[in-house]
Amino acid sequence: MQLRYDEDFIEAAAFLCASGRRKGVPSLQIARFQREREKLYSILDPDERNTAFFKLHLDWFREWGLEKLITDLLKEFPLLPEKLSVLAVRKTRGKNDEGAELYVNETNQRSAILALRPESFERDAALRDYVRHEFTHLSDMLDPAFGYAPTLDLPGLNGAQQRLARERYRLLWDITIDGRLAADGYTPMAARAQHAAAFSRGYSFWPEEKQAETFDILWQTRSPRHAELLALIADPRGLREAHRPAPGASCPLCDFPTFTWADTEALLPGITTRIVADFAAWTPEQGLCGRCLETYEAATALQMTMP
Amino acid sequence: MSNVLNWQLGREMEYPYEAAYPDQQFAFIFNINRCIGCQTCTMACKSTWTFSKGQEYMWWNNVETKPYGGYPHHWDVKTLDLLEQANPGGQNWGGKVQDLKAPYGKFNGKTVFEAAKTFIGPEGANRALGYLPTDDEWSAPNRYEDHPVGNEKGVKGQYFKGGELLPEHKTWFFYLARICNHCSYPACLAACPRNAIYKRPEDGIVLVDQERCRGYRKCMEACPYKKTYYRGTTRTTEKCIGCYPRVEGKDQASHGLPMQTRCMSSCIGHIRLQGLVELNKDGTWKEARNNPLYYLIHVAKVALPLYPQFGTEPNGYYIPPRWVSRPYLHQMFGPGVDAAIEKYSAPDRELLAVLQLFGKDQRICHRYEIKEGPKVFETEVRGKKFVMYNDTVIGYAKDGTKIIETTVEEPLHIRPDKHANSI
Repeated sequence: MQLRYDEDFIEAAAFLCASGRRKGVPSLQIARFQREREKLYSILDPDERNTAFFKLHLDWFREWGLEKLITDLLKEFPLLPEKLSVLAVRKTRGKNDEGAELYVNETNQRSAILALRPESFERDAALRDYVRHEFTHLSDMLDPAFGYAPTLDLPGLNGAQQRLARERYRLLWDITIDGRLAADGYTPMAARAQHAAAFSRGYSFWPEEKQAETFDILWQTRSPRHAELLALIADPRGLREAHRPAPGASCPLCDFPTFTWADTEALLPGITTRIVADFAAWTPEQGLCGRCLETYEAATALQMTMP
Repeated sequence: MSNVLNWQLGREMEYPYEAAYPDQQFAFIFNINRCIGCQTCTMACKSTWTFSKGQEYMWWNNVETKPYGGYPHHWDVKTLDLLEQANPGGQNWGGKVQDLKAPYGKFNGKTVFEAAKTFIGPEGANRALGYLPTDDEWSAPNRYEDHPVGNEKGVKGQYFKGGELLPEHKTWFFYLARICNHCSYPACLAACPRNAIYKRPEDGIVLVDQERCRGYRKCMEACPYKKTYYRGTTRTTEKCIGCYPRVEGKDQASHGLPMQTRCMSSCIGHIRLQGLVELNKDGTWKEARNNPLYYLIHVAKVALPLYPQFGTEPNGYYIPPRWVSRPYLHQMFGPGVDAAIEKYSAPDRELLAVLQLFGKDQRICHRYEIKEGPKVFETEVRGKKFVMYNDTVIGYAKDGTKIIETTVEEPLHIRPDKHANSI
């Protein structure tokens, strides 16, 4: 695996050390860094000058032990060097933009980007905790046993439900990561109690015992699975099964309340097939509203008239 | 450190270099009462000077919503806080008011230069007290736009009763337009380890020598107004250049006469007036009764320096917003605030005429004259008599060319019936 750096990132990190914001950098080294840096301004060709600055900053990035922080953490995650072709570290301007992302190209080569603020190097312990958390995300994504898929395969959910499901997925995944980190003796990004409170807010419709039981499973699991998390996020209230045509209830397809339920016994087989293609978990017993029926009748008729 | 006279503080203060003053000083006045936050000035500057690669986060001119907004975020609060830490409870004013040497009394606290000796930051002692903003703080130039402050918790669907009543609104915000103040004692210049920053002897504009700058960013840390910016593509610092080619009269449209900067002349609200003032040997302003800047700052005293307590003797002055909480304004503009607002709220005959000069011509007005006109209006403003005369104010350029002639009452044009759509 290649470890690459964005030039802005290493320049800002080296400047952080040279400006005394990172503790323990000897002043003689800072003076040497500045002297070497000043010399490069005399290079007239802009590309040559940029290359020289990059090399200088990278050398000091290594000299001041900043690269070692990242490489030491990488040793804790053997899957990353094994499965990634490139890990690029880039600079972000704000804390909210920090994080790790996995990219897969057409030839199935995997690369990852770790986005950090240079100011993170002011506190090594916090940086380690954060990067370890992010590397666990990456490691899960690369682990065949976890079975990660980039899109949540949840047929039958509309846009709002998909968004909610993604939020739940993020919550559960973070719980499993911090649970594992805490068990290994590391500082998690949020404590067990904070995660438990967040879980309780996200699953407030469950009885407290069920909340506590599920949370414990998630916090204690050593090998979470993508499919297990999916099972917990798609329809945790079991509403899909509860769908029955009743005046004012929501249509299972469009989610709008309706008083005009369609007669599902009179549905043409073509329409049923078409609906199931879009909403795999739908059954005629759940019913559908008159407007959805119109839409599917029109779509089916159109399909039949197409050459 | 040498001792230099800072007339805005009414006393001598310590500064790393000997006093040296230009022949004339670039200075400007912004009338905050008129600013609508349209950002035309911001874009005029951006499209003239900072539109290139590496200058994306460089806003030499910006307009921020106070009290919450700021570029970089919370620049003023952070510096005020550092000063308070360096001199707890001691940042106050007192003393006698004297005309040119102490128009606001005497500042008893510490300036950024004096406080630097006692405050050791992460990089040790500096020549000026300051901090280096993070990238995040530079990331959004207009955060908290139009966010007001109120003195009680709001109720949904209800206006705060009496919130709009003067003399001070209970719910308020205002727009603060800012450029480099081209200070008489620039902290950026004091802090530069390469002597790359200098003040032009001809007009006092503060510039960064791009050949000398080596990107140490000490100027960014030291400038209390945070008006110098690092450019990653050149690895040097850049800042407002006071549109010096215009001030030199080299812009074609000026016909050789000194011209106001792009941000000043593009202002659609006519809030800005920029000029050049002559200085005495001790750095105080030479008496020039009919220079509009001298009149507004030293005679009418309606325009006040921004955060004079920082000690850099900024050459940007503001007519304070009359509806804003007074303690806030005292902190921002010093002890002259009450008198300035009192005077501006019911302006006398001369002040009203001089205020008409703002934004009337791109060229710099060095002198004005007033031709008296008839009385057109009379009323009472919060118990004070206000009489309006339709005087004519005439502005002259440095060489005596008449560049402005306007009346207090806006001229009325009667559209001839022959051409229904023309004036």
